[in-house]
Amino acid sequence: MTKKNQTIWYKMGNIDYRWLYVLSLIGFILPVLQPLGLPVQVSSGTIGYYDAIDKLPAGSVVAVSFGASAQLLDEQEAQFLATWKILFQRDLKVLFYCPSQDGSLLLQNELGKQVIPESYGKKYGVDYVVLGYAPLGEAGEASMSINIRGVYKADWNNKPLDELPMMKDINAAKDIDLLIYFYTSCTDIEFPIRQWVTPYKMPTIVATLGCCGPMAVPYFPTQIQGFLSGSGMGTELEVHGKVPGPGALMSDAKNIGILPFLAFFVLGNLSYLGKRFKWGEVKTP
Amino acid sequence: MIIIAITGILMVAAYFIPWAPLQGVKGVMTSWIVVISAATVAMGFVYMTTSQYKLYQKNRSTLQLVYTVTPYVFFAGFLISALAYPGGSNSPEYRWWFTNIYSNVGATIYAIMYFTLASSAYRTFRVSSMEAIALIAGGMIYTLRQIPLFQVYIPWIVPLGEWFLLVPNTGGGRGAVIAAALAALVVGIRTLWGKEVTLEVSG
Amino acid sequence: MIWTDTLGALVAAFFIISVFTMLWKDNPVFRLGQQAVIGAATAHYIVLNFTSVYKNAIIPMMGGNLLLIIPLFLGLLMYTRLKNEIAWVARYPTAVLVGVGTGVMIAGTLRGQIIDQMKNTVLDLYNSFSAGSAMNVLNATLILIGTITAITFFTFTRKHTGLLGWSAKAGRIFLMISLGANWSGELVWYATQTIGRLSYIINYVIKIVILGG
Repeated sequence: MTKKNQTIWYKMGNIDYRWLYVLSLIGFILPVLQPLGLPVQVSSGTIGYYDAIDKLPAGSVVAVSFGASAQLLDEQEAQFLATWKILFQRDLKVLFYCPSQDGSLLLQNELGKQVIPESYGKKYGVDYVVLGYAPLGEAGEASMSINIRGVYKADWNNKPLDELPMMKDINAAKDIDLLIYFYTSCTDIEFPIRQWVTPYKMPTIVATLGCCGPMAVPYFPTQIQGFLSGSGMGTELEVHGKVPGPGALMSDAKNIGILPFLAFFVLGNLSYLGKRFKWGEVKTP
Repeated sequence: MIIIAITGILMVAAYFIPWAPLQGVKGVMTSWIVVISAATVAMGFVYMTTSQYKLYQKNRSTLQLVYTVTPYVFFAGFLISALAYPGGSNSPEYRWWFTNIYSNVGATIYAIMYFTLASSAYRTFRVSSMEAIALIAGGMIYTLRQIPLFQVYIPWIVPLGEWFLLVPNTGGGRGAVIAAALAALVVGIRTLWGKEVTLEVSG
Repeated sequence: MIWTDTLGALVAAFFIISVFTMLWKDNPVFRLGQQAVIGAATAHYIVLNFTSVYKNAIIPMMGGNLLLIIPLFLGLLMYTRLKNEIAWVARYPTAVLVGVGTGVMIAGTLRGQIIDQMKNTVLDLYNSFSAGSAMNVLNATLILIGTITAITFFTFTRKHTGLLGWSAKAGRIFLMISLGANWSGELVWYATQTIGRLSYIINYVIKIVILGG
């Protein structure tokens, strides 16, 4: 099509996409420099997630399968920081184990720095234990539900589990009251469903990336009692649980940054419809 | 095939039969899988070397040589910081490499995906059929539901987005889960039976 | 601020910007960042998995649990794949991995993903009638229709004509809505990653490291 014959509809559908890149970057940067502070609405998945922890009686044991990734920290940090704060605010025993390589290093970096259990009056070995990394997969999750000591002989500091007061009566699914499952690969939701929920009817809540959340919804609310999908729902948990964290900045910056994409998307479809239905063209007799 | 059949049937039996010795065998075998998986990890270094060597063979230029050497420089940096300092992977030195190189660079590679996804959506998402309209409706409404700006100024987007997620998405998602599970079940049974062709070919 | 933190922040900023240059076009600086993360990821996985083997197999073996020599030996046998003449040996540990993995998967799939999902779909409808809310009944009916039609879409042993054809078409609509929701989650996820990197550069590298704020 020559430049002379290019209609407005053609031009709308063929804008150089680098303009989209530049406008999106500007849109993301502006709220980082000057936050907007818009409120966030809480969804049913977040409410279910919070309630599953909140309704646990004092002294309950919570197992946290921390399969997070360091490269996806921006998406999941709000989720797990809010979760840890809510857990440590309550009289619960928390057992962390890491099926992903990054999980144990993230726990070291964040637990004890961003969220300090001791500031909530918690003591390591008595109120919380961290088991470190093992490449569990589905078979490993099955093994954990039968015999934790079959997989982990010691904690992340190489202290034998039998020397930790909290682990005295904890060795299998029957000793655990709630499973919190953090994961980053969308199909991993099937592991706790098959190895914890179905055989032991374990109350389970999950936290994952934004793209994996819709795939967890078919299991909600019967097989999983709550879910967090992306940093947006992490922010919702911060708001609902009244535990402020890094989620607010993430949610805020999306406000302006997403607008160029929406504008381009509308222009692209107007272009398609204009060309298809020949809007504005004069019909020659 | 016999090993696959025996181990597989033992696992299935242990799931349905609450007999303590069988549960014990399942616990032992599943914990062994964790050790076997961890022990094979050095294969990653071999595969990395093989692919870098092939890339250099295809293009023997100085720039390609720099590209080929770079992963080994960072590999060495990580390894030295894990072995040479007390604490190993828990040492501040290792965490320096982990935080500043691994986390940041990896996160940025995901970040640039936003721009490619947005530009490809601009070029290809068109309301050209019922299926496309359904895809766009599900995508756009749930996108707007997640953005606080629209939650404040278009308040009805919140219950609508929730409805899309909890009703039609659940319907389609459950159908997909059941269909995929049926397929996985058939492949699993064929594997235990020794009928799975891909396994026969690979030995 | 100690010099290692400053150096780390500047190195991280360099690599973040080098990867962002890909948006303009593929260039050597981006490739350098890409290759760096390949080496880093490989080393990271090796270090942590070796640590896991050491803690969960070698130390218990030295403490008397000699049975762990079996999985350790099987894991080492996997390396025979690297040489064609003895690659057949790797079939044995592979068989154990496949057998155990398939076994634990099958049992859980039948109950957790087929029976329970069907049961919950029907129970949702039954409970919605008991609750007496028209909206709940409509929603539960839509979920049931979506589930059934989506399953018919995956039926490839018969041609999608007649009633099956209409059902598969309806199932495709529900699946497209589901895909749309997944796509939306992915878009917002990547947007969050972008915000995180920009925030790191602006709020940490520029404001704190460079300007000393």
